[in-house]
Amino acid sequence: MSILIEHDSEIEKLQKGTRRFLLFGLLATVLIVMAILVRQGLFRQTATLGFVTESAHDITRGQAVKIAGFRVGAVKSVNFRADGQVEVALVIDADAMRFVTQDAEVELFKEGLVGSAILEIVPGADKTRLAADNAKLKFSRAEGLSAMANSLRDKITPVLNDIKLITGTLADPQQGVPATLAQVRQATASLNTLLQTSNHQVGVVGQSLSRVMGKTEGVMEKTDGLMSNAQARMAQVGQTLEAVNTRLPVLLDKTQDIANHLEKITADAQTSVPPVLRDGGAVAADVREIITGAKSAWPVRMWVDEPAAQKLKSDSDPQAGAVRAAP
Amino acid sequence: MGWAVVASLCLSACASSPKPSPEPALRKQALNAETDGARRYAQGDYAGALRLFSEAQRLQQSLDDVRAAARNRLHQAQAELALGQAALALGHASEVSESSLRVPSLLLQVQAYQALQQWAMAQATLTQLLPFCAADCADLGRLRLLQARTALAQGQAQEALTFVQTAVPLLMEQQEEREVANAWRLRAQAALKLNDAAMALASAESALTIDRKLALPEKIARDWLLIGDIRRHTPSAQAALAYQRALAVAQAAGLADVVQLATEALKGSVP
Repeated sequence: MSILIEHDSEIEKLQKGTRRFLLFGLLATVLIVMAILVRQGLFRQTATLGFVTESAHDITRGQAVKIAGFRVGAVKSVNFRADGQVEVALVIDADAMRFVTQDAEVELFKEGLVGSAILEIVPGADKTRLAADNAKLKFSRAEGLSAMANSLRDKITPVLNDIKLITGTLADPQQGVPATLAQVRQATASLNTLLQTSNHQVGVVGQSLSRVMGKTEGVMEKTDGLMSNAQARMAQVGQTLEAVNTRLPVLLDKTQDIANHLEKITADAQTSVPPVLRDGGAVAADVREIITGAKSAWPVRMWVDEPAAQKLKSDSDPQAGAVRAAP
Repeated sequence: MGWAVVASLCLSACASSPKPSPEPALRKQALNAETDGARRYAQGDYAGALRLFSEAQRLQQSLDDVRAAARNRLHQAQAELALGQAALALGHASEVSESSLRVPSLLLQVQAYQALQQWAMAQATLTQLLPFCAADCADLGRLRLLQARTALAQGQAQEALTFVQTAVPLLMEQQEEREVANAWRLRAQAALKLNDAAMALASAESALTIDRKLALPEKIARDWLLIGDIRRHTPSAQAALAYQRALAVAQAAGLADVVQLATEALKGSVP
């Protein structure tokens, strides 16, 4: 009998323990669920904001909403209105509303160049006027990769067009590099022609000077002849003057006057001619110095003989006349 | 842009070209005068050459460079001979006592005597010259030519022909074309004296060919005179044509002496 009584008490203890275990498990489950709900913000205070845009591209329900990089809420709903616009509602922590001003702007951009789209609330300049619950904010889209590519394309395209135009111009046979090279060749040829012409003209000038000198010598020879003739004439004049002296003494006075004039002219010439001749000599020396300098300057010196001792070609009969004149 | 490239090339060429070696200005001036004179002489401008050689001689004398002064004095004498101023040439050539220039000096003196028709003096100078111009003498051809001319003038045509035959190969070897032409002319004259008209005509025409090549108007005209003289001794009797050619050349070149000679010869050739 006592054995049965002891067995009943043990079963009762087991039942109590089982009930306590089940209660503890239920309590733990409720705590976990509560923690999850708290974690999900079921019990926190929220505010609703909204904006209207023309396209719902890259905007989805549950999409994160951030302020200064911190997540403060999510997209609550995306609705297509009757007027074709898209109305977006945001739910954010009521605590974050202290950063949302009336002139704040919701901006859509991507994390990195190719990351997920994020809505960022950018507070406005006026910090004193905070947005109210259910306020409507401005919306803008930041430039994405395609927009940046388009922008880059818009900037590069004119540059590429310019490069194409420049290369086309350079390759143009009329105005480009070929034409420039042709001009260079032509200019070089012109320069050579100019230098050859200059060289030739220097030679011509030299020949002209020598001819002038030759003519001057001829004139001097003729002057000598004239002087001889003049002396003969003077002798005749002397005879004539004797006759005149006997008949026309007045003429002698006039002759004397003429002689006086001649003497004066001669005296003037003695003072004026030598400086002129000296100036002429100086000019000739200058000209010679210039020509000598030009001959020694590049490139003229390549075309003239180097000054040096010379050996003339022999010619035992320069006038070819000795033989015929010989008996 | 093209001009800029050309200017850059010119500047770089100027910068890269070697500078001439420094030379005292006066010596450079003297050498310049001598070089210019030689060029004028080669061009047939003997008056210009004479003036430049005279200037070069004066400058070299002022620098106490006796040899260079003597060299230019001889150039001066050679130019004077070409101008027909034989007496002046004789005086200038006689002034040169430089031993290294003895042979050219004596040769020019012989030439001057010949131009002055002082054949005895020419012969005496040749005799004086012969010991200094042996077989290896560079001026041997020219010497033989002067000997031939003297012999011809003294009536020794055959001896003159022999001298010419000796001179021609030497002168040809030295490529002295003017002297070769002179040799052919002398040969023609000697052959004419020996009544060998065919040889004379061939020689004169050879001289004419060379003188035409060298573009020497006075010599061309005198060659035609010689050809006319030779043709008067041949049956073809085309002397007048040759004299007319001589006259035309002389008139075009403004050679008054030759014009007069050609005119007289033309009158004499007309029957």
